[in-house]
Order: sequence, then C-alpha cells, then structure tokens
Amino acid sequence: MIIRSLAARTCRALPRGSSLQPLRRFLSTDIDSIESSADNSFKQLGSLEAQLNAQVPQQVPSASSETQASSPAAQTSESVAEQYHLYKQQQQQLGHLGTEISQHYQPHTLLNNPPSAADVTLELLLASEAHQGHATSLWNPANARYIHGIRQGVHIISLEVTAAHLRRAAKVVQEVSKQGGMVLFVGTRDGQDRAVVRAAELARGYHLFERWIPGSITNGQQILGKCRMKVVNEKDEEIVGFEEQLDERSVLRPDLVVCLNPPENYVLLHECALNNIPTIGVIDTNADPTWVTYPIPANDDSIRCIQVIAGVLGRAGELGQKQRFDAAAKGVITYRPAKDLTMPEQDTSKDKAPKAKVDLSRTFMKDGGLEDADELEGKLDEANNREGSGRRIKVVA
Amino acid sequence: MGRYDFRPLRVRQTAKALFDAKRVPHLPQWYAVVGDIPPGETLARPVQRAPRPRGTKKASRIFQPLPIQYPEDKLRSDFFGDHPWELARPRLIVENSGNDSRGQDWSKIVQPGKQLDGESVVQRQMWLMRHQAMSKPAAYDLARREFYQHRHLEDIRRRVAKEEALHVGAYFGKGPLAIGMELEDRSWEKWKIWAAKQVEQEQNMRAQMFTGPQDNDGDELTEPELDAAVEEVQGSVPDSKAGQLAMGGAAVHP
Repeated sequence: MIIRSLAARTCRALPRGSSLQPLRRFLSTDIDSIESSADNSFKQLGSLEAQLNAQVPQQVPSASSETQASSPAAQTSESVAEQYHLYKQQQQQLGHLGTEISQHYQPHTLLNNPPSAADVTLELLLASEAHQGHATSLWNPANARYIHGIRQGVHIISLEVTAAHLRRAAKVVQEVSKQGGMVLFVGTRDGQDRAVVRAAELARGYHLFERWIPGSITNGQQILGKCRMKVVNEKDEEIVGFEEQLDERSVLRPDLVVCLNPPENYVLLHECALNNIPTIGVIDTNADPTWVTYPIPANDDSIRCIQVIAGVLGRAGELGQKQRFDAAAKGVITYRPAKDLTMPEQDTSKDKAPKAKVDLSRTFMKDGGLEDADELEGKLDEANNREGSGRRIKVVA
Repeated sequence: MGRYDFRPLRVRQTAKALFDAKRVPHLPQWYAVVGDIPPGETLARPVQRAPRPRGTKKASRIFQPLPIQYPEDKLRSDFFGDHPWELARPRLIVENSGNDSRGQDWSKIVQPGKQLDGESVVQRQMWLMRHQAMSKPAAYDLARREFYQHRHLEDIRRRVAKEEALHVGAYFGKGPLAIGMELEDRSWEKWKIWAAKQVEQEQNMRAQMFTGPQDNDGDELTEPELDAAVEEVQGSVPDSKAGQLAMGGAAVHP
C-alpha cells in the first residue's frame, strides 16, 4: 500500500515519456524476473539519457536568441497542459487508492475559524477539556452548582452548565456590541494572547494580554490621559476636527470586560465592580464566581478551552457589530450618540458637516495601530513616555 | 474580609440607583441588555446527598459533590495493577471531536485511530462481559491474551521495518546502550587520570612527611655493621630442641 500511494503521489512529478512505466511496474500483479527488471531499469536510464541529450541542444539556442521567445513559451504551455491532463487522468485512475485521513483536531482552526455560539456542543467542550477542574482541596464552595462530580481527586465541571453560561455570555457580548459598546478582552496568562487578540479582532473590541495597570479605570485620567481619542460616525469612520473638544473629555471606560483568567486579575475586576461595569469571566473550580457578573464555569488552564470560549465570544461580538452596521446602512442608529460635542466649523468639510452632525454618535477609544494586534500596555507606556512631545494622545484601548 | 462582594452582580440595580439619584445623566448603554439577560443566581448549593434523619450525627457532607464511578474502574485498576509498566508508555490523550469513542467496535481489540494500550484491554473485557456473557476472569484472560498477541505482532512489525530500512540504506546512529557505554567509558578514563593523580599526591605527601633530618642508621647498615649484627644475632638464636635454626634469618628478615 505504501508503494502504491507513493506512486500515486509522485506520478505528477514523473517525466512525461516514461511516467506510466514505473507505475505499471508497481501495480502489476505478475512479478518480473530480476533480469527483466534490470533490463527495464537500463532501458529507462537509456531513455532518460536520450531525453536529456535531445533537450539540451534545443534549449541552448532558445535561451540565447531572444527572437524565438514565443516558440518555447508555447512549448512549455503545451507541455504544462499535457502534464495537467495526464495528472488528472492518473488522479482519476489512482486517486481512490491509499489511505484517507479522517477528521482530526487541528489547533490552528480554533483561531482561524472560531466556533460561534450555535456551534458549541458538549462534545466540543469535552474535547477542549472544559470539564477539568482543580483538585478537590482547592475548590471554592461557591462553585458547587457548577460541579458535576469528583473524578480521581479532581472536580469535574458540568458541561451543560458551561454551555448554558457560555451562550448567555455570548448573547451579552452580542447585544453590547450591537449597541456600540466597548468590549475589552483580557487574558494575561501565557498562551492566551492569540485567542484574546483574535476575539478582539472579531468583535472590533480591545484586548489586553500582558498586565492590567492598576488604576486604569479608577485613575484613568492619570494613566490613560495622554492616549488618543477620536470621534467616529455610525459606520466607524473617523470625523476629524474634534481634537480641542476631546482634550477636556474624561477618559473612556469599557462597557463590558471579558476576563479569561479572573484569579490573576482581581484588581481589574474590582475596579470594574467599583465603576459599575459588567464583567464576564471564566470561572474554574478554584475561582470566586462573585467577582464577575456573568461567570462561565470552565477550565481556564486549558489553552484549547480558552480558545473556544474566546472564539465564541468574539464571534458573538462580530455578529453584534454586523447587526449594528446593517442597521446603520438602513439609517438606524442603535446607540445613544455622544453628548457635549459640537460640530466643528470647517471650510473643507462643509458638505459633510450637516450629515456628520446627525450621525455624530459617540466617542470611541480607537487607534489605528491597535487594530494591527498591538497591545494596550505598550501603547500606554509609549504614551506615558512621550510626555514632552507636542502630540496629544487621549485614550487608547 | 470574609464578606462577599455582590457589586458585580448588581451592576444593573446600581446603575438604576445612580440614575434615580441623578448622579449620572443617563442610564448606561448595557442597562437594557443586562435587564434582558440577567446574571444567574450565585452561591446556591444544590443538595447532593439525602440528609440524615434527625437525631443522628450532623450531616456535614450534604453539599459536597459526589464521586463519579464507572464499572470499568475496577477492571482498569486490575489491569494496571498487573501491568504497571503499561502506565509508563506514552499515551495520546488529545480528543479530536469529543466523539472519538463513538465509532469504536470492541468486538475486536484493535481499533482504527486508537493506539493499542491498557484501555483497549479494559474496553474489550467489558464488551466480552456484556455481549458474550463471559465471566470477569475469563474475559480478562481472553482480552489480555489478544493484547499480548498484538503487542508481539507490533514488535515483529517494528523489527521488520527496521531491517527493511537498514537494507535500503538507512542508518539509525547509536542506540541508547551504545551511548550509555560511551559515557561510562569516558567517565572511567577520567576517573583513571584522577586516581593516578591522587596516588601521586599521596606518595608525595608521604615522602614529604619523612623528609627532614633523619639518621640512616636505623634503615641501612653498612656492610661491616651488617656482618657484625648478623653475627651478634646468630649467636643469640637458640639452636636447641625448643628453638629453631636461624638460617640467616636475622639478615634475611631484619
């Protein structure tokens, strides 16, 4: 079988003249004697030599003379077509031979094509090890209703509960995105960065994968005060000319925070609680579910599980944004426009001005560089270090 | 400190209270969303065990999760108790779809897409006990023998593959034993050099200990002195019935 599949795989690369001969030899049921096979191989060698000898003098003048450039091109195209037809013919004859690779887990697919909330099945959660909790001695009894049982000294999380809470959280992310809210995805553990960035990319939200600077919400004016803020219309196109008005505005806050590792981000969740910001968190059996508004009981130590959860929430955000843009295309604005902003008087944008005044919607923490998977904190540090420079950057997420 | 913080769960109520008290000019954008999709109840403990009748000891484990048990557990512990080194073999534990065990048919011990290991024996034994009404030890013996047979075939397959590969020109480098032997040889040579050095040092130290002013009289005698001493001793050795002949002993064994 190995030889057959080898023949099927390499048949494309075999030379044209003697391509079928070795295949026939491989596939033939009657066995040639050693002498005849040796003869065959000698003949092949001879034919190869002859081919080489025939081709070399043909190619040399074609390469040297530029005037005959058309004929070799035609030759090559013809030979390519022939080879292609031969390949298709062989594929038809031999394609069904060999093994078939069944569906199997490919880690990148969770990032490239994350599942949506409708794709969440208990099997998917089981395969991504969402059910594995911590050792029984480490449990937080507040999680008793999420726990299915004990297996070999480890708490097993009930996957029905996980699926239900995950769908609920996805619905929340979708609705908040639909209303133009700012969603911040936070996962500061090793290996969570790509999932977090991907989710933020899908949901057109913001991501944080290094460290939450304590006070970014409670003391935001000091920490984020130099970041850039911009005004966008309902299609998320930037409207310039508001720089002076934005200077005095307070720093923006997220409308929803998704935290993939709550035990390491107590400060963030506490700040959210102080500032009345709803939060979604992945609660393992050792975490405290009262830290977050919407717990998702699941294993936060499994990267695959985190990728599934972040992907589902990101897809939900994507759906919400799509609904928002669809509504905007029909002229419906799904959110409350920002107040205390007056349309700047500009000669260049005179024609746009009335329209923009109507559309002028909300301020949005957005920066071009951040959508290219830059992280927040680097920008923040950069902005903090750039105190002396003249450029004012208001808020960035 | 020991208190629960319910502020995250009460974001909506807090937002409403702030708005009613005119602390904030308008309700947040998510107000309706959180109202439509309220957070679940928290800190609720389902009762896992029936409480004991009144009057008996305190029911302390009512709310604790229960252990999950399967009939295979005993078979598994039996097999791995008898074959502890099966646990040392590398094992693939990544699930593909979560439904990987759906397509397995344990009327045969070999499954496509699953490596042959102790779990195969356990599942095969379960199948035999269920579908062929075999007793536990009989099913165990049958499953175990099939397992041994397939392990043996695997060994043969591996050996033949290696022979074929060697025949067509593969080379596998040194084996673990050869590498171990090399390391051991190297350390042995190192130790020999070290030991020779130690012996030399020891000898030097011993030589140094005896250097300094010492008289050679005790050690070496000049010839006339030796002769005199021998003569002196020879005379003193009793040549009698009780004694023995000196046979030049004083000179030979000083």
